[in-house]
Amino acid sequence: MRKNREIKVIFVILTVFFFAFLCVPMLLPTITYGFAIIYSFGKQGLLTRLFGRQLFDIYGFNGLLLGYVIYTLPISFMLINNTMGYIDKKFTVVSRLMGDTPVRTFWMTVLQPLLGTLAASFIQTFFLCFTDFGIPASVGGSYEVIASVLYTEMLGSVPNFGNGAVVALVMLVPSVVSITVLTILERYNVRYSKIFQIELKKNRARDTVFSGMSALILIAVFSVFLVMFLVPFVDEWPYRMSFTMEHVRAVFADSTLFGVYINSVIVALVTALAGTLVSYGAALVTARSSVNGKLKRVIESIALITNTIPGMVIGLAYLFCFSGTGLQNTFAILIICNMVHFFSTPYLMMKSSLSKMNGSWETTAMLMGDNWVKTIIRVVPPNAVSSLLEVFSYYFVNAMVTVRRGRTRRQKRPGRRESEGN
Amino acid sequence: MAAVGIGAGIAGGSGSGEEQVVIYSNADDEAVQAMKNALDENGYAGEYIFQTFGTSELGGKLLAEGKNIEADLLTMSTFYIDSAQEQNEMFRDLEFEVNTLDEFPSYCAPITAQEGTILVNTEMLKENGLPMPESLKDLADSVYSGYLSVTDLSSSSTAWLLVQGLISEYGEDGAKEVLTGIYENAGDHIEDSGSAPLKKVRAGEAAVGFGLRQQAVADKADGLPVDYVDPQEGNFSLTESVAVVDKGADSNAKAMEMARCIIENGREELQTYYPLALYEGETTDAANISANPKVFEEPLTVDLLEEHQELSEACK
Repeated sequence: MRKNREIKVIFVILTVFFFAFLCVPMLLPTITYGFAIIYSFGKQGLLTRLFGRQLFDIYGFNGLLLGYVIYTLPISFMLINNTMGYIDKKFTVVSRLMGDTPVRTFWMTVLQPLLGTLAASFIQTFFLCFTDFGIPASVGGSYEVIASVLYTEMLGSVPNFGNGAVVALVMLVPSVVSITVLTILERYNVRYSKIFQIELKKNRARDTVFSGMSALILIAVFSVFLVMFLVPFVDEWPYRMSFTMEHVRAVFADSTLFGVYINSVIVALVTALAGTLVSYGAALVTARSSVNGKLKRVIESIALITNTIPGMVIGLAYLFCFSGTGLQNTFAILIICNMVHFFSTPYLMMKSSLSKMNGSWETTAMLMGDNWVKTIIRVVPPNAVSSLLEVFSYYFVNAMVTVRRGRTRRQKRPGRRESEGN
Repeated sequence: MAAVGIGAGIAGGSGSGEEQVVIYSNADDEAVQAMKNALDENGYAGEYIFQTFGTSELGGKLLAEGKNIEADLLTMSTFYIDSAQEQNEMFRDLEFEVNTLDEFPSYCAPITAQEGTILVNTEMLKENGLPMPESLKDLADSVYSGYLSVTDLSSSSTAWLLVQGLISEYGEDGAKEVLTGIYENAGDHIEDSGSAPLKKVRAGEAAVGFGLRQQAVADKADGLPVDYVDPQEGNFSLTESVAVVDKGADSNAKAMEMARCIIENGREELQTYYPLALYEGETTDAANISANPKVFEEPLTVDLLEEHQELSEACK
């Protein structure tokens, strides 16, 4: 018995680690991934040195692929993990009892309920890569992607907003396809009357194999970021490898850091609160209300399109819209901008969990004399706590990273002169 | 990257208080600190807010927002200030004497000047048996294929220092030929950021690059395997200037005083980072005197930059 408990503890710890390590990369601006790749796999990279030779050519397609995968892994994981929690495992048991083959059980009780989320996750990651220019800027090499074309037009040495707008419009085209796909997949959604938390069948071999695979993925991701834990303590990578605390000291000695940090926290908190409310509200309307289907599709389209537009374009659009008004240069505009930009993933997360819950709650409540509003306040949130928390933290983390990006993009390494010069 | 444009504009603005002068700047941290020191030491502490931007972000804001810009005072690449003035007539004439070595328009005064030069990683040159380049034209030599890192002129004006050198020495057609060779050699290392070539050289990813001279001088002095070669075609330079936004009746009188304070009291510290002399009575120290300083024959404007960008694009 005791041994079993120990094993359980180990698995819990492993899960926490898995979550933490997998999601850590999400906290970094994407340009850091590029530099992590260069410092790991480049000519003088850490892994290049460990292996004694350069493993592959990091510029162009390879580097982009590696960077994009690391970048989108956490988001895809969060989406799928979230929906997993709302799948009734009892169905698996029933399916097995009815004599289904394992493959069929897997398809019917795991894959099918996940289908919508899997597609959503595919589409999310597609657009994250499609609109990112941090990774192409550092390891894209001569492999041109549309996001860097947009970047050059909008924020090049001579900004050309007209041309940039055309590029941005072209980038919207794939979102039409994605909206159609998600609408079609909606039909496959499986609703549960009640989600049972049941003990899963014990299977040491299965757990070991999958833990091993997770560990491998973790090590792979972590090995790329290993160098990032070393660089702050190295005098000058890669040519002066002595240990130093100078960089760390210099960063903390910056007196403006504290104020900036507080500002970021405030903006991120408000963004997270407002963002969670809005995405919860939007998901309620599309997943649990009987409003007109057209209206639902409008909400759906907005949610997906916000993800299609690179943040830079939203930022510039707001800049133009509100120039000269009271909103210009306020926290409010920053918060709105963040809410809009990061709306997509939280919305999809909320929606997939809400649409897995019993569809008759509202009817029952109504029969008992509650109105719709009362129901969604009393009945739904307690069942969606974990998603609400995840949505909140997603917004918070992303808002923090964004604000910080805005501020520290130009922060140089301490003790050395450097100019962005762009 | 969502709100970079606006994010950068707000996050630092927590200091309350009335009538603070808002200063926008594309300058590096060291330059900003030098300007802050000058202001603080002369009684302006707490009376201003500094916001920093990338050059293109601030450039975009200048051209798009004109006089509506939040800033009362700004420091920016001079050619951008010129073009913004031409398009939006948004700056006031400076109300104090400036004795610059070169002639500047009445609405701005230079704070820094930065020269371009060839950068090398000495270890990489040795390891790969590469010759030391002497001119920009040498960079087009196929021996440097895969070892060269330069900045794309479409993305960063730092590359302009290279392109100006090529055009003034070889004419437009000759420049095209050399630049085509340079881009071929750079391949994967045609960078978006002006500082990227130095970073690649420093990281041992590239053996040769083109970047800002004073950064290479500092790296060399710091003991890194980084050296610099002043190209035979000449060291061209770009200046950054201070200008006061004309806000009509809403103008903050202190903005003009602060502009004056930055020029009169900030230059000494600024020169420690950007060593080139700009005003009468200043001198450039020996290591930082480039071999062959040159000025492009036409006035630098955004329009000229666009022309040169087209030329550069044609070479890819």
